[in-house]
Amino acid sequence: MSTLEEAKKAVVEEFSMYDEWLDKYEYLIDLGKNLEPYPEEEKTEDKLIKGCQSRVWLDSRFEDGKIYFKADSDAIITKGIISLLIWVYSGREPKEIAEDDFGFISEIGLKENLSPTRANGLVSMIERIKELAKEKAATLDDNVLTAEDAKALAPLYDNVVLALKQVYDPEIPVNIYDLGLIYELIINKRHETYIKMTFTAPTCPMADEVLADVKKSVSDVPGIKACEVELTFDPPWDQSMLSEEARIDLGMD
Amino acid sequence: MRIQDIRNMFPALTASVYGKPLVYFDNAATSQRLDSVVRKMEDLAFWKNANIHRAVHSLASAATEEYESARDAVREYINAASREEIVFTSGTTDSINLVAFSFGESFVKEGDEIVVTEEEHHSNIVPWQMLCQRKGAVLKVLEVDDQGHLKTEDLRSLVTGKTKLVAVTHISNVLGIINPVKEIVNICHSMGCPVLVDGAQGIVHESVDVQDLGCDFYAFSGHKIYAATGTGVLYGKKEWLDKMVPYQGGGEMISTVRFSGTTYAPLPGKFEAGTRNINSIPTLKPAMDFLKLLRDKELQKETAAVRDFLLQALLSHERVRLYGVPRGTEAKIPLFSFTVDGAHHEDLALILDKMGIAVRSGQMCAEPLMDRYGVTGMVRVSLAPYNTMEEAEKFVGSLDKAISMLI
Repeated sequence: MSTLEEAKKAVVEEFSMYDEWLDKYEYLIDLGKNLEPYPEEEKTEDKLIKGCQSRVWLDSRFEDGKIYFKADSDAIITKGIISLLIWVYSGREPKEIAEDDFGFISEIGLKENLSPTRANGLVSMIERIKELAKEKAATLDDNVLTAEDAKALAPLYDNVVLALKQVYDPEIPVNIYDLGLIYELIINKRHETYIKMTFTAPTCPMADEVLADVKKSVSDVPGIKACEVELTFDPPWDQSMLSEEARIDLGMD
Repeated sequence: MRIQDIRNMFPALTASVYGKPLVYFDNAATSQRLDSVVRKMEDLAFWKNANIHRAVHSLASAATEEYESARDAVREYINAASREEIVFTSGTTDSINLVAFSFGESFVKEGDEIVVTEEEHHSNIVPWQMLCQRKGAVLKVLEVDDQGHLKTEDLRSLVTGKTKLVAVTHISNVLGIINPVKEIVNICHSMGCPVLVDGAQGIVHESVDVQDLGCDFYAFSGHKIYAATGTGVLYGKKEWLDKMVPYQGGGEMISTVRFSGTTYAPLPGKFEAGTRNINSIPTLKPAMDFLKLLRDKELQKETAAVRDFLLQALLSHERVRLYGVPRGTEAKIPLFSFTVDGAHHEDLALILDKMGIAVRSGQMCAEPLMDRYGVTGMVRVSLAPYNTMEEAEKFVGSLDKAISMLI
C-alpha cells in the first residue's frame, strides 16, 4: 500500500489530467458509481451526516492499529469524492489522519468549487473523518486517559507515593517525598512510572544510592511495570518545598 | 420594450463563469441589481450621508428627503391608503417577525390559534412558532394539494373563533403558483380574522394593490425586486399598527422619554427604532420605477413566452417531476421547482453551474413542503424579466446533458 503522501499525490496528478470541469465530474461520477455498496440497513441516523443538499452516511471500524472507512451518499458526485477520500485515508493509522490537513481537496479544486454551501455533506464528512481519527488516536495515545484509565490509575498513584515515602537521604531524617524532592510523578496507561526529582544540593554524596533506592522501591509496588527516574536541579530545591509534616519533624515551626 | 432593453440595465448579466456566459436563474433567492439602484446607493453613500429626521443641516434634510420619498413611492406602488402604513424593515423576515412580536404581544393569548400554510417559507413559519411557544397558542396548518394548490376551502373549518391571524404566502418560493389571496382574505375577514401576506415573491411578479387584496399586512424585501439588500417593507393597516405595541425600543421611535415613562412616536416611526439602512432604503424608489416599466405589454408578451416554453419543456420531460402545476399558465410565475428521476438535485445544480447556469438546489427553506412531497430537495429555476428565450433553451439543453451524465 502506498503512503498517505503518495496517495494524495496520485489523486492530484489524476485530476491534473482533466482541464474541463465537466470531465472532472465525469470522472467523479464514475468513481461514485463504482463505490463499494453500503448496506441500506446500516444507514442509521447516527451514521448520517445531514447537509442542506446531499446526505452522507459514514461508518468506521478499527483493526490492527488502522482505521477503515465506509461511506455512501444519495448524490453521485459527492459519492465520487467519498470514494477518493476512502481510497486516500482508509486503512491508515488514526494519528496519521488526525494530523493531516486534507489540503489536497483544495489542491484539486474540490473544496472551493464544489462546496460553497454551508452544511454541505462533503465538508461535514471530512470533519467527521478527522474527528473519528482524532478520537481513535487519542485512545491510543498514552498521555490521554479515559475515565476508566483514570480510575485504574488512582490507587497506583497512592501506592507509589507510599513507596516514595519509604526512601530517605541518610543524612536527613525526613523521607524524600515530604522533603519535596519529587518534582513530577507520571504513571501512564501501561503502568510505567516516570519520576523527575532533585536533591537538596547538587553535591549530595549519596545521590546514586538514593536514586537506586527510588527506582527499586517504586518498581516493587504491585502493578507497576517499570520506573524511570530523571534527575534535575532546575529549579533548585529550597526549604519552601518541605511538606507540613516535614517542617514539624525538623522542628521548623 | 424588449427583454434586451431590460438586460442593459443590469451590468452583472454580462459576467462569465468558468469561461461561459452567466445564465442567472436564481432570481427567487435574490435578483441582480439595477444600475440605477447601485448609482443611487453610491450617490447616498458619497454625497448624501447624514442621519435622517434629526438634524437641521442641509445634508440631513437631503437624506431625509430621499428616505421619505421612497416611502411615498412604495405607498403609491402598492396603493396603500396612507404613507403611515408603510414601515421600513430589513426585509421580509424582519417584517414578519415584527408582526409576530407586536401583533402577538397585543392580541394573542393562551389557547388562541395562528394559521399558516404547508407551502410557507421558514420565515413565515418559525416566527409564528416562536409566538405560539411564548403565548401557549396553537399553530394550525392549511394543506396544499398534489398539484401545489392551497386547499383554500378548508379555511372555513380551520379558522375558528380562537384564530387570531392567518399568515399565507402570496406566491410560494417553491411552487410558483399565485395563491387566491383575495379569496383567502374574504373568507378570513368573514370570520373576523386578519390576514398577513408574505409577499417576498408576490411583489416581484404581481401588480400588488393592498386595498384591492384587502389584506391586513403585506411583507416584502427590496433585494428580490432589484433594490439593495437589507431593505424591506411592512405594509400594515393603520387600525392594526396603531393598536400594536412597538417591536424595538430606541431612538426615532419615541415622542418623549422620561424615567417615569415614555410615549411613542406616531406611525410609522413607532416601528422604526434606531438608525435604519438609510443608504439603501431609498433604492426602493428606483426599484418601484423599474417595476412600473415591466407593465409594458410587449415585454410581458415576450417574458410570458419564455415562461410558457419552460413550463412545457419541463412538463413534457419524461424524467422531470414538476411541483406546482398550474391550472392555467397565467397562474404560474416563471419559477419551476422539480426533481429528476435517478438524478440528485445537488448533482444537477453542480453540473449546471459548471455549464454557466446558476440554479438553486436543496430544500429552499421550505422543509415542511419537501416532506409533503416526500423529497429531500429539488432543483429550482427562477427567472426575471431579463432572462431570454435563448437562455431558457440553453438551460433545457444543458439539463438534458447533465441528466445524461448522471444516468
